[in-house]
Amino acid sequence: MKKLSVAVAVCAALVSSYTSAEVRINGFASIVGGKSLDSDSTLYGYDDNISFKNESVFALQLSADLQDKLSATAQIVARGDNDFDAEFEWAYVTYEFSDELQLSAGKMRVPFYRYSDFIDVGYAYRWVRPPQSVYNIPFSTYEGLSLLHNTQLGDWDSTLQVIYGGFDGEIDAVSANDKAELNNFAGINWTMSRDWLSLRAAYLVAETSFELDSNDSTGAALNGLEDILRASNLTSLADDIAIDEDNSTFIGLGFSIDYNDILFDAEYTQLEVENSILAEQSQYYASVGYRLDDVIIHFTYEDNDDKHDSSRFDKIQAIPSLNAAVNGALEGVRAQSNVYTIGARYDFHPSAAFKIDFSRFEDDITDTETDVIAVGIDLVF
Amino acid sequence: MKKLILASALTLCSISASAEVAVIVNASNTSNLDADTIKKIYLGKSKSFDNGAKVNPVNQNGNSVADEFNDKVVGKSSSQLNAYWSKLVFTGKGTPPEKLDNDQAVLDFVAANNDAIGYVDSAKVNDSVKVVGKF
Repeated sequence: MKKLSVAVAVCAALVSSYTSAEVRINGFASIVGGKSLDSDSTLYGYDDNISFKNESVFALQLSADLQDKLSATAQIVARGDNDFDAEFEWAYVTYEFSDELQLSAGKMRVPFYRYSDFIDVGYAYRWVRPPQSVYNIPFSTYEGLSLLHNTQLGDWDSTLQVIYGGFDGEIDAVSANDKAELNNFAGINWTMSRDWLSLRAAYLVAETSFELDSNDSTGAALNGLEDILRASNLTSLADDIAIDEDNSTFIGLGFSIDYNDILFDAEYTQLEVENSILAEQSQYYASVGYRLDDVIIHFTYEDNDDKHDSSRFDKIQAIPSLNAAVNGALEGVRAQSNVYTIGARYDFHPSAAFKIDFSRFEDDITDTETDVIAVGIDLVF
Repeated sequence: MKKLILASALTLCSISASAEVAVIVNASNTSNLDADTIKKIYLGKSKSFDNGAKVNPVNQNGNSVADEFNDKVVGKSSSQLNAYWSKLVFTGKGTPPEKLDNDQAVLDFVAANNDAIGYVDSAKVNDSVKVVGKF
């Protein structure tokens, strides 16, 4: 209900402004078709049947300058994997204090990653999808405030953003339908760019709570384990399984180089939800590309490593069966994988690009490989 | 084959001899604008003239003058420029300059607006505007 009211308020602002302000309409779309080359494993939502729905996106943005220094913006996104149901993913008002400083309030993107802000705008980057080992946090919006400061520091362009707010919604993280709530969600990120080089650092904190879905087998097992630990008066161990008002931190570091048609990008991220079943995560990718007029060819390597510290294991050796169950749960969230992607982008039109990516995902725990091929067209209008 | 080479040589000549672009402002504008400042204005990084007045830049709509200007002054192809602006537009961080259809529309707009800046084929410049640079 809260989310709806933000969207409605911004829409009302947009509509009521029609007499005095110009409303701009922009949009973007990605039509992506892909399939897994393996009959028994899926990746990025693809199985071995070609799907044009899974990663396709269609979006419209309305923005209105209401009067001096005030503007309202709403972005409506329809995703194929959500049956193209249109949803407000951005809905905010912005006040410009000066050329350098602006404050926005409403529903916006969480600035986790370098490409977070325009993660759905495929036209803005070279891959079919940004490297998923890094771009894996299962929600991307928040409701709150964003203060943005742009300035020149010598020859450098500096962009500093501070955010504060919260998130609540259903996400697919531990069980299929976790009810997630992030409170006191605060973050800062800073990008410095100059000529061919851009550097970025981000830090975010939140108090995270998940209610796991008992209809899901993983959710039911973890909820059951937590209940048994509580019933056995092992409260602190139960608290370490539960995701309940746990302090969470996210760190992201990245850079990009675009020099003489050679492109090089890398990002490293780290996520921890303290004292919870969620494993400590660290991931990175490095990507090289070469621009030949209207064509970019690229290669990307990704690495993901999720695990619990060894100090979390074997805490109740006096009760071997329960000890094994806790160890099993901690081990169960471990993940270790690599992805190799080779692809190309062709700007065949000033507002449209054709892309093809081949990705090989290697799961080091199950020792399996999954290949996915995807082709797409990205547009902006 | 020789004919082809001759033909392409001629094409190259005609490209290098193609129109010079003149960057123009309103006749009343006394700001100093070098190539770097003009580039920053067209990338949305500079939003005011040095006297503090808000700058109101206009582009041309996908014609050869626009290509020339993007290449010589902004240093990006139209696809790269589109990708650049899509990152700003869809994140509320900026709005690209409005696009006008031809030289005459730009001349009229710049002549009529004190805060305007535009670019036209330098052969089309008239007394209604002031030239701040030729590229």
